[in-house]
Amino acid sequence: MTITVLKPGLQTTIQAGPRVGWRHYGVPASGAADTLSLALANRLVGNPWNAPALEATLLGPTLRFDKAAAFAVTGAIAGVSLNGDDVPLHETIFAKAKDELAVSATEIGARSYIAIDGGIAADDVLGSTSTYLAAGFGGLQGRALEEGDLLITNPADCPLLRTPDEFRVPMSSSWAVRACPSFETSQLRSGDELFEKNWTIGRRADRIGIQLEGATLDIASDGRMPSAAVFPGTVQCPEVGTPYVLSVDAGTVGGYPRVAQVARADRHLLGQLRPGDRIRFLRREAAGAIDELRAKLDYWRPWLEDIGNII
Amino acid sequence: MRIRCVDDLLSVAADGPADAQAIAAQLLDTGEWLEVVPGIDSVVVLYDAALLDAGVAQETLRAQLENGVVPLPESGDIVRIPVVYGGEFGPDLDELCRKLNLSQDDFVAMHTGCDYVVDMVGFTPGFAFVGGLDERLRVPRRKDPRQHVAAGSIAIADGRTGMYAVASPGGWNLVGRTPFALFDSKAEEPFPIRAGTRIRYYAISADELDA
Repeated sequence: MTITVLKPGLQTTIQAGPRVGWRHYGVPASGAADTLSLALANRLVGNPWNAPALEATLLGPTLRFDKAAAFAVTGAIAGVSLNGDDVPLHETIFAKAKDELAVSATEIGARSYIAIDGGIAADDVLGSTSTYLAAGFGGLQGRALEEGDLLITNPADCPLLRTPDEFRVPMSSSWAVRACPSFETSQLRSGDELFEKNWTIGRRADRIGIQLEGATLDIASDGRMPSAAVFPGTVQCPEVGTPYVLSVDAGTVGGYPRVAQVARADRHLLGQLRPGDRIRFLRREAAGAIDELRAKLDYWRPWLEDIGNII
Repeated sequence: MRIRCVDDLLSVAADGPADAQAIAAQLLDTGEWLEVVPGIDSVVVLYDAALLDAGVAQETLRAQLENGVVPLPESGDIVRIPVVYGGEFGPDLDELCRKLNLSQDDFVAMHTGCDYVVDMVGFTPGFAFVGGLDERLRVPRRKDPRQHVAAGSIAIADGRTGMYAVASPGGWNLVGRTPFALFDSKAEEPFPIRAGTRIRYYAISADELDA
């Protein structure tokens, strides 16, 4: 069956799990920026956690189903309607033929995840169907959805499910994420400032990186750092002193000092940061961060058995 | 051997790009790491912290490297890369030549006059850091990086030539453009250029770019 894209939204792409094992050729992870919300959406329609789904940014799409299908929307707080009637987030919704699904602008959080029963057909490139916009591959022809696109799905039967309240990703405009000092943190002359400040998310907050505003860090760097590996969650600080956090589509090596690393436990939250949000980095050392990661995995495992692969 | 740990990342120091590539190759061969990413003078591995403790991961990495690292064999063949130098395809060449007090012909003669070795591939899919640039052509990166650099752009900075396989932001000085496909996701071999590949550039005219 097919789903017609009536309105694409601001930037809606097909995203699945990350692309793993190609970073030494410069291929980033891509995949859902908030993997936990992707997994929760897929869970509600009986898909594997990393089945290809839609990731909408700030303003969601309007879609028309040509046949009956089940879908679910998770992630940012946003209005969802079917033929103009509100339907809930975090619940399996059964659409009939010709029904129109609309996802509004997000109110809190940045990204909505729309999973369809059976997943969405997408290009498999280097081991993942996730869209990587910069190089134009994966997903639907490597690009964001456009008006008139047809999405192909293969629905099976699925039961009605709701995400229990305690397993929903809490949305906020004021975030606290755990982070470890990184390989060049010692180049910061102002010591713990990065971890003590309340930062504001800048206008540039996309799948590549998230600009932090509110202070200028004093960094002892001559701008000649030999390029070294960076990852989603790496906080870099160029000589001008304004740090930014790399996200899922960022380049795989960089030449600016790595001053912090958002802990794996909280990396999925980067996908929900939007311009104007506030953020604090809670300082952790590696051993503590890993203990907390495992506690978080244990917390979600009763609802998502694959949680160890999801975050 | 110095190994540093940051959350689920371990970094090991290397004596330059060739050593970093050799370390990375040895670690990739073990199949035990989620990612192994060489840099210019370091290698970082991503380990699965859901399964491995930081201390165990460090000891595993140390054990995999403690008997030394086998240097990678030198690549035999030379890949010849055609380049349209200057003009609209190399918008920084004019200013660069003035700064270096060279004519554009001098620059092209120097840039095409020797063999190079690829130090590293990374940043974006297939982006090549090509080492061995003539010291007389050493210039820093641009202070104002461009938001958009076209695929196929050939650029120099900090003693290296960079080859942009896909369009991306970029801060290197653009000297030309190549029609050579540095990355093709649909090809059987998506990455024709690898660390260690030997490169030689030759000049072509703008007419030959689309040919």
